[in-house]
Amino acid sequence: MAMAIIFKAVNYTYQPNTPFEQQALENISAEIPTGSYTALIGHTGSGKSTFLQHLNGLLRPTSGVIHVGKQIITPETKNKQLGELRKHVGIVFQFPEAQLFEETVIKDIAFAPKNFGKTEEEAETIARRMAQQVGLDDELLSKSPFELSGGQMRRVAIAGILAMEPEILVLDEPTAGLDPQGRLEIMEMFKRLKEEQNLTVVLVTHQMDDVAKYADNVIVLEKGKQIASGTPSEIFAQPNWLVEHHLALPKAGEFALEFEKKTGYKFATLPLTEVSLARQIASLLHGGGVHHG
Amino acid sequence: MDIVEIKNLTFKYPQQEVQNFNNFNLKIKKGEWLAIIGHNGSGKSTLVRLIDGLLAPESGEITVSGIKLTPESVWDVRSKIGMVFQNPDNQFVGANVEDDVAFGLENAAIPREEMLIRVRQALERVGMWEFADHEPVRLSGGQKQRVALAGIIALKPEIIILDEATSMLDPEGRQSVLEIIRELNQVEHLTVISITHDIDEASNAQRVVVLDDGKIVQDDIPAKIFSHGASLVKIGLEPPFSEKLKEELIKQEIKVPDEYLTKEGMVDWLWQLFSKQ
Repeated sequence: MAMAIIFKAVNYTYQPNTPFEQQALENISAEIPTGSYTALIGHTGSGKSTFLQHLNGLLRPTSGVIHVGKQIITPETKNKQLGELRKHVGIVFQFPEAQLFEETVIKDIAFAPKNFGKTEEEAETIARRMAQQVGLDDELLSKSPFELSGGQMRRVAIAGILAMEPEILVLDEPTAGLDPQGRLEIMEMFKRLKEEQNLTVVLVTHQMDDVAKYADNVIVLEKGKQIASGTPSEIFAQPNWLVEHHLALPKAGEFALEFEKKTGYKFATLPLTEVSLARQIASLLHGGGVHHG
Repeated sequence: MDIVEIKNLTFKYPQQEVQNFNNFNLKIKKGEWLAIIGHNGSGKSTLVRLIDGLLAPESGEITVSGIKLTPESVWDVRSKIGMVFQNPDNQFVGANVEDDVAFGLENAAIPREEMLIRVRQALERVGMWEFADHEPVRLSGGQKQRVALAGIIALKPEIIILDEATSMLDPEGRQSVLEIIRELNQVEHLTVISITHDIDEASNAQRVVVLDDGKIVQDDIPAKIFSHGASLVKIGLEPPFSEKLKEELIKQEIKVPDEYLTKEGMVDWLWQLFSKQ
């Protein structure tokens, strides 16, 4: 099923008509294509979290329209109408392990499918499959989630979201607090899940290296407005623009610029990952195109 | 002078069978910036919670700023230590930013006049004064963390403990927090203990201790620790970019130097390589 997300002229104001009124989203028109891996980036306070909460109707726009697949969310949409939407959009919030509550890991993962009408048995089958998908050993399933390590708890929480079998997976800094090994494993896991299950992924992150490595589409927010969208190459093409908007290049891009400045060599396209940087250096070194001699 | 001294510390969590720390010793010098690294579960957070008296050891002795940590002295010890945790959402108590920073001062019975001055100074220092009347719920994670830091600065502790406190900040926010910490360390000689997976944060330290399974497996200056390259990921530190690039260059059959190179060093080395062409 096509599950593109389209924002049309969306505004969101916290506590309207009070002294605390604050406009968090301003006239956002954006598209997250079906099957894309979209990174949502922006400086502190840019409105990323508010944007995110519109994706499954936790917040409704103050004005404007959001399409998620066939579902339409407007300011008038009632909570009752949002149940269906929430089956399709799974959000992994920051520190999702804080929401674990069941006696055992398997019960925790099975909670959502049961809640959405599956039988106990069906829910447990789904839960076992999801546990396997996120790399949790069978022996952990009967344990209390609170006996597990931080990284394992994170996996249980993610499996719980996946058990809803969403078509859109929204990740809000999903690796915050994990060690580098855990971070890499979780990011690679999302990449695999996206490919295997043909998910649409929306990733909120500050890690520009992850944007370059995993995303194919980027939306940049600043003070509640969308200031750019495009592929990572397009977004990272203008270093000066990034600086003006308090955004960083991926480390490989930064390194590439310094290399160009020092050596006078020019890369065909600005490398954004270590892999691409190393390849381009090798190609320059072996006389690929720019060799002068 | 040692501001923290841990002697023969033994500790385990109630439900666990194995000891988290067994006969553990560590001294931290006054004014030092010590980075503690290690993978998740290596005991980093447990260690700083023991220092702050949030957890009680089974046996052994912890001395902070000359005070031996006991159930009776725990509040004195805590008055010497400011602790910033990872998740800013768990450390807000005030109805707005200003109140939140004032909370700790009220607890410490600081006179109102001085309190107002300290709150303002602390918030200006972290660049959050303009948000003084904002409600915390409306702030982003990075802004909340700066407020948490202001709350600690206002209390003028001798030791600041950062428990992955910058891990949720955007790059600019992280730099600004580190800048504040550097000032506190260098100008005001505060002792800094930072638990981190971040190479930039660790490179600010004068000393890096690597924990594994409740044991100190390395204790050295940052450059020595960073020279381990890609294997750093196993001890819980994101390898420096230059080391990751080296690995990819090797795959491209380019011969790379063994020793640790900073980013600038790496650019220079490549420049020489290209010059030889």
